[in-house]
Amino acid sequence: MPSLKAERAIVHERTDIEPAAAARAAGHVTLEPGLRHPDGAAVRIRGLNKSFGGPRVLDQVDLDIAPGEFLAIVGKSGCGKSTLLRILTGLDTPQSGEVSVDGRTPGNNAADIRLMFQEPRLLPWASVAGNVAVGLRQDAHPGNEADRAVAEALKAVQLPEKAGVWPATLSGGQKQRVALARALVSRPRLLALDEPLGALDALTRLVMQALILRVKQETGFTAVLVTHDVAEAVALADRVIVLEAGRIAAEFRVDAPHPRPTASEEAARIEARILEAIFHGRTAA
Amino acid sequence: MSASDTIYATGLATTPDASAQGPTVDLARIAGHALPFLLPVGVLLIWEAAVAAGWISDALMPRPSAVAVAAWETLVSGELFTHLGVSALRALSGLLIGGSIGFLLGLANGISDLSNRATDTTLQMIRNIPNLALLPLVIVWFGIGEGAKLFLVSIGVFFPIYLNTLHGIRNVDRQLIEMGKAYGMSPATLFRRILLPGALPSVFVGLRYALGIMWLTLIVAETLSASSGLGYMAMKAREFMILEVVVLSILLYAVLGKVADIATRALERRTLAWSPVYAKS
Ligand SMILES: Nc1ncnc2c1ncn2[C@@H]1O[C@H](COP(=O)(O)OP(=O)(O)OP(=O)(O)O)[C@@H](O)[C@H]1O
Ligand SMILES: [Mg+2]
Repeated sequence: MPSLKAERAIVHERTDIEPAAAARAAGHVTLEPGLRHPDGAAVRIRGLNKSFGGPRVLDQVDLDIAPGEFLAIVGKSGCGKSTLLRILTGLDTPQSGEVSVDGRTPGNNAADIRLMFQEPRLLPWASVAGNVAVGLRQDAHPGNEADRAVAEALKAVQLPEKAGVWPATLSGGQKQRVALARALVSRPRLLALDEPLGALDALTRLVMQALILRVKQETGFTAVLVTHDVAEAVALADRVIVLEAGRIAAEFRVDAPHPRPTASEEAARIEARILEAIFHGRTAA
Repeated sequence: MSASDTIYATGLATTPDASAQGPTVDLARIAGHALPFLLPVGVLLIWEAAVAAGWISDALMPRPSAVAVAAWETLVSGELFTHLGVSALRALSGLLIGGSIGFLLGLANGISDLSNRATDTTLQMIRNIPNLALLPLVIVWFGIGEGAKLFLVSIGVFFPIYLNTLHGIRNVDRQLIEMGKAYGMSPATLFRRILLPGALPSVFVGLRYALGIMWLTLIVAETLSASSGLGYMAMKAREFMILEVVVLSILLYAVLGKVADIATRALERRTLAWSPVYAKS
C-alpha cells in the first residue's frame, strides 16, 4: 500500500464543485440535494471506500452529481471506474462511506437506476422487443402500456423495425442500441454507462454518441459515463473527473453548449489537460 | 426483414438463375432430397440380387422381399403393432421417469451448492456402473415384469440428462446473470428467463445421447428377459429359425430410433429457434 497519505492531498486540491452550476449548464432547475428532481436523480457520495481484500480500489471518494448532469469518468485501466459505477448502481456495496441516489441507498430503487455495460448482454433467446421489455419496471404489467413503452424505447434508438428479430441477427452497433433501449424503457433517473461504446468502430461510435446525447437531452436523466476516450468525454459531458488509484485526482468543467462543434480548439485544449492529468497525476482544473 | 436485407438478397447469384432455368433447379432439388436414400436402396437391391443368385444362403440371411412379406404377415396378424407398441411405451416411460429425475436433479445441483455437495459425489460414483451390469440383480428383483425394463431404461437415461443439465446451468453466461440482477430480476425470474433457456442447448445434447442409451438398454433387456416387445419377438423367431422376423425386428429398432431422433431434432429446432445454428437460411 504505497504512499496513500502523500496522494490524499490531491483530493482536497480539486476545485470545489457546485452542483447548481452544473445543473444550470445542463439547462435544469436546481433542487436541494436529496429532493426528487422531475427528471434526473441527485447523487451524493461521501468518504466511499472499497477494497477486494487487497489495497483500496476506491479511497475516500467524495462526489456530488447534480440532477440532470452529464458526468464523465476517465482514468487509467484498473483505477476503479467500473467499481465506482457498480456501487453507484447497487451491484456492489461500499466497504465504508455513504452513497445515496435521490437520498436512498442504490439497489432499493433498481428501475430508477440503470446500468449499460460494455457488452450488449442481450438474451439470445428473447426477441429484440423481449429484450427491451427486460428493462421494464418489475411491477409493470404486461399489456398495451408495456408494449407501447417498449415500442417507444426502440423508436428512440432508431430500431423500431427490428422489434421482432433475434439479437443474433443484429450488428454490434444495433445490439448496443437495443441495450440502450432496455436501459431507457423504465425511464430511469440515473443512467450509468460503463464504456458502452468501447467495442464499436469509430464511425458507429460517433453515431451512438449523438444518440445518447439526444435521448439524454430529451429525457433529462442524470448520466455517468465511464470511458477510455477523452475526446468522447469532452464531447458529451458537462464535467469530467479523472480517477487515479481510487481517488478523484482532477476535475474539469466543459461549458460549451450542445451540439458541440467537432474538433474545436477549446475542446482540444481541455482534452490535452485531461490527458496530462491522467498521465501525470495532477493538474489544476 | 428490413429493406437492407432485401438488397443483399437480390444481389445473390441464385435468384435470377432460378427463374430462368426453373425445371433444372427443380430436378436438382429432387436429386438433393433423394441423395440420402440412394445408398440404403442400393444396398437392398444388391442384397436381394446376391441372395437370388445364391451367393448368400437363404438360411443365414433372408432376402429383403422375404422380410417385407414377414412384415406384412405380422402386420396383418396384429403381432407387429402389439410388440412395437409395447417397446415404444417402455422406452417412453423409462425416458420420462429417468429423464425428469435427471433434469430436476441437474437443475437443483446447478443452482444450489448445498444440493450439489450433498448428492453429486454419490451420483458420480454410481455413474461408473454400466446400467446393464445390474441386469441379473434386476431380474431377481422384478422378474421379467415391466418394472425391470423401466428401471434399467430410467437409470440409463438418467445420467446423460443429469450431467448435461448440470453442465448447462453451470455454463450460463455470468454476464447475463449479472445483467438480470442489475435489472432487478427476482431469483424465480432469473431462473425462468436466463438460467433455464441458457441451459437448454446442453439439455438437448443430453437428451439425444440418452435416446441412444434408451434403445440399447431396451434391446438387451427385452432380448434377455421379456414376454413381449420387439426383442422378445426376435428371440422367439430365432428359436424357430424364422430369420425374416429377426431381421424385421432389428430394422424396426432402427426405425424407432430414427423416429425418436427426428422428433427430438424438431423439438430442438422449435425451442432453440433463436440460435444462429437454426437460423432460417
Ligand atoms: N470482483 C473483484 N474482485 C477482486 N478484485 C477486483 C474485483 N473487481 C475489481 N477488482 C480490482 O479492482 C481494481 C479496479 O477495477 P475496476 O474494474 O474498477 O477498474 P476500471 O477502472 O474499470 O478498469 P478498466 O478501465 O480496465 O475497466 C482492479 O485492480 C481490479 O483488479
Ligand atoms: Mg472497467
